[in-house]
Amino acid sequence: MTAGTIAVGDVRAARFRLRLRRIRDFGARLLRRQDGLVGIGILLVFAVLAIAPDLFVGRLQTAVSAEGGRFEAPSAAYLFGTDRIGRDILNLTVHGTRISMLIGLLSTVVTVLLGTVIGIVSGFVGGVLDNVLMRISDFFLVLPTFVLALILAPILLDIFGTSAEVAGMRMTLIVIVVVIGITSWASTARIVRSQTLSLRERAFVDRARVVGAGPTWIMARHILPNVVNLIVANAVLTFAGAVLTETTLSFIGLGDPFQPSWGQLLNQAQSDGAPGLGAWWVILPPGAAIVLVVLAFTLLGSAMDDILNPKLRGRR
Amino acid sequence: MHVPLRARAARVAMSALLAVGALLPAAVPAVAQEETTLRVGTTQDLDSMNPFQTALVVGFEAFALNYELLVAFDQKLGPAPGYAESWTANSAGTEYTFKIPAGKKWSDGKPATAEDARWTFQLVLDALNSEAGSLCLGYIDPDVKNAAVESVSAPDAQTLVVKLSRKSDRILQTYVPILPKHIWESKDATTICDDKFDPPIVGSGPFQAQEWQTGQNVRFEANPNWTQSKLAPTEVILTFFETEDTMAQALRNNELDYAQGVLSDQFNQLKGQPNIATTAGEANGFTELGFNTYGTGTGKTIAGGGPSTKALLDPLFRDAVGYAIDKPLLVERVLGGYGVPGTTQVPPVQTRWHKEPATVREFNIDTAKQKLDAAGYRLDGQNRRLDKEGKPIVLDLVFPDSDSTYPTSAEFIKEWWGQLGIAINPSQYDSDTLIDLMLPPEAGDYKADYDLFIWGWGGSADPNALLEIFTCDQIGNSSDSLWCNEEYDRLFEEQNIAPTYEERKALMDQAQDLMYTEAPYHILYYDAALHAWRTDKFTGWANQPENGTPLFGYGPWGYLQLRLVGDEPTPGPSAPGAASPGASAPPGNGGQSTGSSNNTLLIVGGLGLLALVVVAGAVLVRRRSVRTEEE
Amino acid sequence: MGSRYLGRRIVQALVTILMIVLLNFVLFRMMPGSPERAITRNPSISADTKAALRAKWGLDKPVFPDQFASYVVATFQGDFGLSFKYRGQPVTEVLGSRIWPTVILFGLGEIIAIVIGMGLGAYAGWRRGGVVDYVGNGISLVLYSTPYFVLGMFLLVIFATTLGWFPTFGMLSAGAHYDSFIDQLIDFARHLALPLATVSLGLVGLYSILMRSSIIETLAEDYVQTARAKGLRDGHILRAHALPNAMLPAVTIVAIQIGYVIAGAITAEVVFNWPGIGTLTVDALSSRDYPVLQGIFLLLAVSVVIANLLADLVYGLLDPRVRA
Repeated sequence: MTAGTIAVGDVRAARFRLRLRRIRDFGARLLRRQDGLVGIGILLVFAVLAIAPDLFVGRLQTAVSAEGGRFEAPSAAYLFGTDRIGRDILNLTVHGTRISMLIGLLSTVVTVLLGTVIGIVSGFVGGVLDNVLMRISDFFLVLPTFVLALILAPILLDIFGTSAEVAGMRMTLIVIVVVIGITSWASTARIVRSQTLSLRERAFVDRARVVGAGPTWIMARHILPNVVNLIVANAVLTFAGAVLTETTLSFIGLGDPFQPSWGQLLNQAQSDGAPGLGAWWVILPPGAAIVLVVLAFTLLGSAMDDILNPKLRGRR
Repeated sequence: MHVPLRARAARVAMSALLAVGALLPAAVPAVAQEETTLRVGTTQDLDSMNPFQTALVVGFEAFALNYELLVAFDQKLGPAPGYAESWTANSAGTEYTFKIPAGKKWSDGKPATAEDARWTFQLVLDALNSEAGSLCLGYIDPDVKNAAVESVSAPDAQTLVVKLSRKSDRILQTYVPILPKHIWESKDATTICDDKFDPPIVGSGPFQAQEWQTGQNVRFEANPNWTQSKLAPTEVILTFFETEDTMAQALRNNELDYAQGVLSDQFNQLKGQPNIATTAGEANGFTELGFNTYGTGTGKTIAGGGPSTKALLDPLFRDAVGYAIDKPLLVERVLGGYGVPGTTQVPPVQTRWHKEPATVREFNIDTAKQKLDAAGYRLDGQNRRLDKEGKPIVLDLVFPDSDSTYPTSAEFIKEWWGQLGIAINPSQYDSDTLIDLMLPPEAGDYKADYDLFIWGWGGSADPNALLEIFTCDQIGNSSDSLWCNEEYDRLFEEQNIAPTYEERKALMDQAQDLMYTEAPYHILYYDAALHAWRTDKFTGWANQPENGTPLFGYGPWGYLQLRLVGDEPTPGPSAPGAASPGASAPPGNGGQSTGSSNNTLLIVGGLGLLALVVVAGAVLVRRRSVRTEEE
Repeated sequence: MGSRYLGRRIVQALVTILMIVLLNFVLFRMMPGSPERAITRNPSISADTKAALRAKWGLDKPVFPDQFASYVVATFQGDFGLSFKYRGQPVTEVLGSRIWPTVILFGLGEIIAIVIGMGLGAYAGWRRGGVVDYVGNGISLVLYSTPYFVLGMFLLVIFATTLGWFPTFGMLSAGAHYDSFIDQLIDFARHLALPLATVSLGLVGLYSILMRSSIIETLAEDYVQTARAKGLRDGHILRAHALPNAMLPAVTIVAIQIGYVIAGAITAEVVFNWPGIGTLTVDALSSRDYPVLQGIFLLLAVSVVIANLLADLVYGLLDPRVRA
């Protein structure tokens, strides 16, 4: 009995070391690639900005705390100029980082979670359930998800109600997260399912079954760890898509004026008439930030995909 | 013979460059503009050509061009000849006789007589007397009701007699378009609502809509039978813009002659431009911060809704917090200086009716604090203001997403009231959801679940509508403060039937004072109407009223003042038949309609697209055949 | 291609369309809002009028089965109901006038993007690691990461506001009279230039990336290696072997991407006031014109399903391996 415990502990420790080494190995390979390095570099900068925006530009400026003039061009006082109500664009863009990235992150978590669970269950259980789930995912794959998102947002706002906040995020933003999750899980589910299908037939799953492990246990302990590679690369690409979708939804007017994301800033620029006034400084910083972040995630995602899933290259 | 890929790519690039080059203005003559077309832009999108089915200013503008009112509005909004050229009242002031000019014609050439006017008024009366009690959307009929019209008759083709149930002169400002009976005879007060009024329109106004491209524009042509004055524009194009920004740029680029409602920063930019004139007119409306006072005067409450604290029902509370709103600062920061700090519900543009309160609340946080303390709303240990039940006051402030100034104002109010210890949760909704949220149980299954709101109202020629929204009867309809005050209701009813201006004005003054004191609304400001127009094609731009704007006023007055640049000014109405509109149209106008050629263009575009697809397909197929040959 | 495969795909597509029709009904019954709301802020409207309005839109009957049955019947008859905002104009009419501008803008945009994007991608992949590959791929990646409206707003600031080369809104100059059809076409082209550039550039990145990876993959295939071993000229191998095979997956993806392109369509049209389906969507959304939104959703969803079906069929036709 004592011996057994030690053995299990040893095995665990060994596994942990192995995993650690793999991660370190993976990180080293990622950093050796140009695209991986650039992607990580850009994301690090934005991550720092997102975590502590106050440190760099002070608190989020409001109409009340704004001190600049209307649509001031960039100057020494305001590096990126000011908007219609005199707010510092630099301040707004840096604070927008946190909101855009947070929505992106949460949306990705929701999407990947939904996609992974549905994918694994569908692939592992099979049969009628698989058929139904896959028809549903087919359905979501062909739907014009963006238009669906536009329609879902007011419905969800109606259901969730009004000015509530969840963990400091306003309901409007939570609704965007849910909408992105609902409309974009299908492709993750597809990828995870096909991997699950091949894993299901493998010997170690059979062994687990013979030992008497339940389906939930097998899915969680045997299938999930083996699809993590797929999920991670997929998640990074999903993140890029989520940031794009959030930006577009906010631009159309589903954002929140009190917690401005980059898309919301561009929406305000548009409705304040910045393009016609030639106020390019209101558009450039949030626009460039979006491009950089999406680019970084795309680079990183494809680099990770290349490293983690060499066989799948180019088959997306 | 194989062309190397690189060479082919280069050729594609070359032709692409050439194509782009051809689009540059240097390479093309400027688009030929019709020299007598008046191009008017607005950010509203016409909802209906049917005068009884439009809820928008642009819809009223459209029907004011199509049709005439019985009595028009002059520059000072006084009565002027419209469909009727003159009128007399009996000595009691209870019967009006209107004279319709002989020889008057509809735009289709049919005679326009008193019978048409009688038919139109009868249609409205029928609607008022029906079970529904209103005509279609219900924006036109209140004028007839408030004018106390009892019956209309047309003893002969030139005479219309209107009998009133009491002495009133408001028949002279009924905003009712006179429709041609020969077109609409078969419709009644119900079925006319379902008619789309498809152009071309037959009317007696100066311009008639010829085609309407939904969401894009309406094209009007001058009425060939318009004899009242010389029409400088032969054509009016009303274009609907998605944003003020593109509209302002279109004006600057000479793609537009008139822009209704640009933003303050664009307005400043346009002011300096050559050939552009601007006016910051006073809008007949306001933006308010309103309270949910549900239960005032009735004591009713709503389970799971209504105001979150009884403090909102207390006039002393509403008065006190009114001192913590810096209205001049809002005008400066939110409106860019274009607007006037607000007081009462009748805007100052209504110079005949507006009443400035004797004492205006001056912004002073300390005064607000003292008044709150005095009224029994004290601070707790954490600097939170408590209501009389001992609960911290936390207010939900709601506003629609239709205007980017609302969230900005909300931020300021949140800051100021925060200094009083009153917390505010602002949130933005689309207008329809907001209406649902704000409606009380009187309107159905609703809960009026809000505390404060920022929104605006626009008025019509008569201030009645802006007064009516505070009456008890409107709870469940247009009342959004849900305020109910018997004294106010009495004043409203009495001013509505007051026989003379002086009497009505005295009652209306009291009603305005009462609203200001009781403060179900704090009127934040009267927005300015920022209009801009080009001066290089038309002259004669004049505001109606004088503190208003040239177009989008009351009826077609502004359009009738226009003259072509370089044309001799010809003031005053000319003799019937003397002026023929279109006489000033330059030769070379093939009369080609924009709409039909639009379709041709689309068809050709579609064909071009098809051709490209075929070519692309052919290339693909050729490649494929190459492969099969060689494999 | 087996007729069984064909039949199965068509049945699948029909089932999907049926599901879309059902979803459409459910979604729009859940949406907050109704036609009488347009008039609620009117002081003098009676309850009777409101009731009459509800009856006109069929909202007075129970949701199930009455409303549902009439919805299904009407939809399959091509009747999408009446617009709230335009006071009872048929939705088909409202949609009809907006379809062509979108088809032209995105049709041309797709074609330009396919030609330039695929050309660039093919060349970059062919000369992998070369200067064109680095620069071209870099540009493609940046374009791919740029939302249409960001691109559009920049083009607008540079070419319309600052340089004044192009008009800023709409499809034709309002109130212009043209001496000839050519003049009108030029006016149209000037209005089209910036939106078209936005759409094309937005798509070029995507297609170039797709084509590049497709070419690289194809070049690794045995028959290309064989051709090389046989000593065939490079250009010949590219044109005769690599390109046709690489085109196949890329073209298919073009069809599949249509759903995503729609999101871009909406924002690009909004930036330039292009009177198409995109601006109509945003207008309908902001005025809560549900019947119109419902019509748009159905139209777009069905188009995407059909595009996907066609892509599948074409793929099956061209690639003998896909026969199940």
